[in-house]
Parts: sequence; structure tokens; C-alpha cells
Amino acid sequence: MSKPVVLKSNKYGINLILDKDMDFEELLGCILERFKESEGFFKGAKMAISFDGRKLTQEEEFRIIDTITDNTSVNIICILDNDALREELTRQKIERFEEECSGKTGEFYKGTLRSGQVLDCESSVVVLGDINPGAKVISKGNIVVLGALKGIAYAGANGNEQTFVAALEMDPIQIKIGEIIGRSADKPAAGKKRIRKAKVVVEPQVAIVKDGNIYIEPITKGLLNNI
Amino acid sequence: MSEVIVITSGKGGVGKTTTTANVGTGLAQLDKKVVLIDTDIGLRNLDVVMGLENRIVYNLVDVVEGNCRMKQALIKDKRYPNLSLLPSAQTRDKSAVSPEQMVKLIDELREDFDYILLDCPAGIEQGFKNAIAGADRALVVTTPEVSAIRDADRIIGLLGANEVKRTELIVNRLRMDMVKRGDMMNINDVTDILAIDLIGAIPDDEQIVISTNQGEPLVGSDCLAGKAFANICHRILGEEVPFLDLEIKSSVWGKLKEIFKKN
Repeated sequence: MSKPVVLKSNKYGINLILDKDMDFEELLGCILERFKESEGFFKGAKMAISFDGRKLTQEEEFRIIDTITDNTSVNIICILDNDALREELTRQKIERFEEECSGKTGEFYKGTLRSGQVLDCESSVVVLGDINPGAKVISKGNIVVLGALKGIAYAGANGNEQTFVAALEMDPIQIKIGEIIGRSADKPAAGKKRIRKAKVVVEPQVAIVKDGNIYIEPITKGLLNNI
Repeated sequence: MSEVIVITSGKGGVGKTTTTANVGTGLAQLDKKVVLIDTDIGLRNLDVVMGLENRIVYNLVDVVEGNCRMKQALIKDKRYPNLSLLPSAQTRDKSAVSPEQMVKLIDELREDFDYILLDCPAGIEQGFKNAIAGADRALVVTTPEVSAIRDADRIIGLLGANEVKRTELIVNRLRMDMVKRGDMMNINDVTDILAIDLIGAIPDDEQIVISTNQGEPLVGSDCLAGKAFANICHRILGEEVPFLDLEIKSSVWGKLKEIFKKN
């Protein structure tokens, strides 16, 4: 007879193939045994789980999960079903989970981005320098520019509209947050405006999404508490 | 029947992009459906000169690579509804597109537009080859300087070898005061060397600098350069327009100065 419990990994986590005839309590023991065996490999892992080979009631599924999480260091995020619709939903859920993670972690980039340069980040990013016109910063999380933002910033690149773009000097050509694009105002046609602007005092600003539009506002305590 | 015109020069900085922006806008003012294509991949400028930089979402390379539809990449001008711009990519280089792909792209646009203007990059490498691949007609821009004319001559030769049917000359940045003093070649000297039809001469005008900085083409405005560009547009349509008198009438004060100088 083949093994009562087989572990197979897939894109999102682990597929448990279970013996369909074995007594449930006995099976539970086997599952725990299998996970214990691979404890070193799974240590602290976050994963999705799916079941195959045997029809389980919801209660049984929960008991399996509890057994695994109580006795090993494996974290199970969700249970996956094998039909396509569920899979799609789970995929979205997992991506959202990753997205949340990306909002919490970040990296630094030191230097000025010049025209034609693109900085593409999986997590949030802090740029220590300017973003010149024609340069682009793309991040799945937030973007903070400790300098002037004069190019293009694209926060929440996988569709997350809860992200923000902040800069010490906010003068972007375009800002995109999630799927929403905001572009700079056109310069007034009247000929009076000089190309060399007089130096004006600039304050740090932050761009956020409100009611499907991008708003750029000065950074205040109240605003920071809301994002 | 649409016409594809490439604006080229060989040498950089002689005014290809400014000419493209102004001629394109001028043709749109004459109720023609015009699309401007920036073929300078990696060093795009036409969008800035047109004042449309902030509207770019997709570009020429995205269209060629199938990342978006043509309609999504075309930017409608804020002033003229029958004028569109297909911007180039800033983060790629010339090798991102091949001449065959350009021909295909242009053929797709032919159905919807009367005039397709291609802003060519400087040089004679891949970018130039891409720009002239689908062109029916070429406007060669030069300034009255030996170096620019040398390059223009080479370009005219290459255009002939690549079977562009019609090639015409634009002499840019003429300074009549210098011509008068004999310090600059005049239009005839230039056309003698290059031996192609002249379609326009544009005086050196500080209004041009102002207009490119503001992203507002000055064609049709009251200054000499604006009139010169408007005349080129009429000539492109096949109308006979006399060449402008580029002489700046000196004021009374100027005349007085000249008299004192002579003494």
C-alpha cells in the first residue's frame, strides 16, 4: 500500500494527498508525523494548504490545520480548494497578503535618478536624492523621496491604492497610485511665466488616493495618521 | 491619401524637433489630420517641446511590442483636436525597434491621418534607419554652418540611396545681420552646395527659445519665425508662397547707431 499521506508542493504552498479509506483519527496522526519529519524544512514557513484524495468535512479540515499549527512551527494562511474559481480567489488573497507585507518593509536607494533611469522595487522605497524629469520610480509599496520628485512615481504597482508617494519637493510629471493616474497641470499659455523660476520655499508633500482621485497635500500630523 | 514626411538633419541641435513641432502644428491649423512620431528612442524631446510630456502613459515601443493598442499610446494635442503625438520611450534604446516594425506601424496610421511627421534622431545609425524606413518625403534641416551642411549632404545622399522620393531643404537659424556682414553663408550659398529644392528659411529668433521652453509651438504667430513655419506648411500642401523677406527693418535709433559707427 502506498503512503497514507503524501506532501506535494505547489505554487502557493502544500498539497496534501490523503488516503481515502483510513480512519480519520489515525490519518491525523500520520499527517502530524509527516510534518514533524519535515519540520526542519518547513520551519516557520507561511503557506497555503490544499487537500486531495479524500473528501473532508469542514470540521475535519480545521482539525488537521489545528494539529499542524499547534504541533509545528508551520503557519497556514488559508485552505485552498481545487476548483478554478477558488484558486483565483486564493491567488488574489495571497497577493494581497504579499502586498501588505510590501507596505511594511522597504529599501533605500541612494543617488539621483536621471532621465531614462528606472528604479523598480518589490517593496516600499526611500530615495535619497532627486527624481529628475524622464526618470521613473516603481514600487509595489510606498515611495518616499528625500529630495525633489520631478519625474514619474508609481506606487502600489500591483494595484494597491492604499499606498502613498511623499517628497520633500513635489513637482512630478505624473503620479500613479494603484490604477489611478494623476498628471501635472499644464503650464498657463499666457507668456508671462518665466522659464527660470524664482526660488520659492517648498514644503514636503504627500500624494494619496481619495475617492478615486490623486490628491497632493502638505504633510501634516492629521494626514499621516490617516494613511 | 496620406503622406509620410521625415524631418532629419544628420547633425544634432539644428532644429529637427522644433521644426517637427511647428510644421505639425501648422498643418493641423490648416485642418489636416496630423500625427507626430518621435523616433528618438532613449532621448525623447518632442513631447517636451509640444508641452505634452505629462500625458505620456504608453509609447512607441509599447505599441511595437504589443503592450498596448495604438489608440492608447496616441496623445491628442491640448490645442488642436486633429493633432496627435506618438511619444518615444525614454528608458530603451534605438535597437528596441526595427525598420520593418516602423513601416508596419506607419501603415497602420496611414488610414487615420493626412500627414505623418517623423522626428528623426541625430546620426545615421539605427535610429535614422528606423525613421526613414517608411517615409515618402524628407525635410532636411540645416543651419548655415559648414559642419551642419557637410552632414546634411551626407544625409541627402543616404536618403537617395534609400529611395525616399522627395527631399527638400529647410535652412534654419539664419542671421541676416551676419549674412550682410559676410560672416554667414546666405540661402543661395547653401542651396548651391546641397543642390536640392528649398522649402523654407527660418530666421534665428529668440521667440523660438521661449516657445520651446514653454511647450507652445509658435507657428502662425506674428514673429518672423512663426510666419516662416506657416509658409513651409503651405508649401508642403503644394501652394506657391513667396519667400519671406527676413531683413529686420532697423529702427531710427539703429540707423543713427550705424551712422556713428561709420564715423
